[in-house]
Amino acid sequence: MNSKKVILLGKYGVGKTSLIRQFMHKEFSDAYLTTIGVKIEKKIVTTNEGPLAMIIWDIAGESSHRKIPPSYKLGSQGIIYVFDLSRLSTYEALDRELSDLKTLLPNVPISLVGNKKDLLNEKDLDTIAAKLPLVDVTFISARTGENVEKLFHDLALAMVR
Amino acid sequence: MAKDYLLEKLKELLFEEQDAKTKELLKRVDKVEQGLNVRQELESKIAPILEDNTHYLQQNFNILFGKTVTKTMKRQIEESKDEVVEALYPIIGRMIKKYVIKEFELLSERVDRQMEQVFSWDNWIIRVKSWFGGPSLAHVMASRFVEPALEEIFVIEQLSGLLLGSYSKESAFDQDMMAGMMTAIKSFAQDALSKETQQLEIVEYETYKLIIKDFSSFYVVAAVSGPLNPHFKNKLDDTILAFVNRIINTPTMKQGLVSLDKQVIVGNLETYFSQINDSEQ
Ligand SMILES: Nc1nc2c(ncn2[C@@H]2O[C@H](COP(=O)(O)OP(=O)(O)OP(=O)(O)O)[C@@H](O)[C@H]2O)c(=O)[nH]1
Ligand SMILES: [Mg+2]
Repeated sequence: MNSKKVILLGKYGVGKTSLIRQFMHKEFSDAYLTTIGVKIEKKIVTTNEGPLAMIIWDIAGESSHRKIPPSYKLGSQGIIYVFDLSRLSTYEALDRELSDLKTLLPNVPISLVGNKKDLLNEKDLDTIAAKLPLVDVTFISARTGENVEKLFHDLALAMVR
Repeated sequence: MAKDYLLEKLKELLFEEQDAKTKELLKRVDKVEQGLNVRQELESKIAPILEDNTHYLQQNFNILFGKTVTKTMKRQIEESKDEVVEALYPIIGRMIKKYVIKEFELLSERVDRQMEQVFSWDNWIIRVKSWFGGPSLAHVMASRFVEPALEEIFVIEQLSGLLLGSYSKESAFDQDMMAGMMTAIKSFAQDALSKETQQLEIVEYETYKLIIKDFSSFYVVAAVSGPLNPHFKNKLDDTILAFVNRIINTPTMKQGLVSLDKQVIVGNLETYFSQINDSEQ
């Protein structure tokens, strides 16, 4: 079977682990257990090219006192960059974050997602959308599962293309 | 004179019977004593009583001790999870054990989630432990294999950590995820050691050793149990080199530039490594 490395990036606490959990097991928990280092998950999805094993690297979010070893990102064939719609600090530097990623990993498809959609109303979402860089952004909720399946599926398609 | 005689006679009459009784008594005491001291004699006496009791206990064990035993077992399980896992291990097998340990790991992860420890060696050691089933399993392995033995061999793509092929006697964990974790460890070590341009060559855990051999576009990991001796190490090194030589010289590969053919890798892994544990050829 074909397999691809997918990395989840984004500041701490934005919901990377919750997102995978929702995708893998249709579960959600309010408890926050920060990821230790990196946790590797595997999920098989079907694409038009046949089954694809997504080897997902759930990497601990960076903060001022912890840095991701850069090589964790290398060799990945798909990126999900997650930010928290309810915390400005997780998306105010998106432009730079994304361009750094594109330099490090040229030609790798990036899915940009705003998580915790359930915490905001339509009006707030519009305001936030207006502030974001001009790229495709998907608003999702790891809590309700909204757009979660679609996110991974679309990324899988982009990777096999 | 007569008075003295009479008195003497009276004494005799009075004590004669007493004396006989005393003697009789002493005899019996002797006999009992002998019965107690000579095991067989004692046994023959009490065996029937014990047998009766044993039988009674057997019949009524549940009623008499059921509750206590259940309670004790519950406490025992609480207090010695490792040992319990150990005891269950041969019965329900590796998979269950892995699951149980995973659950315990999750539990302890919840306990010591200190932010500053997030990228530390200690965490990797815990991970490695859990892959191989914790210290108790390592002990079991140590006693089972006095000889070093190749447990599994992996061929993993550099950076992406994708598994190109693997060969194992029996596998207790997901090979794709294992390959990813190994790569994460290696990346972590490389970043940590970059100043000295060192490479991570071996990850040790008790009697387990993960031996890492780097090649340009991929690397090979051999998981070896038991004490690693120079002879085995040499044999392993030679076999890995011969194997790598073979796979990079197949027509589908041009010096590692074209993506490695998984079919070729898997096929050759079997050919090269299935015999390695057979002693001294
Ligand atoms: N309301 C709401 N809460 C969420 C959602 N997703 C995650 N959370 C909560 O946000 C907190 C952090 O979630 P995690 O998934 O652990 O975040 P993370 O990005 O993996 O964090 P690090 O591992 O530290 O980098 C948890 O308390 C979650 O319950 C969501 O969609 N809606
Ligand atoms: Mg996390």
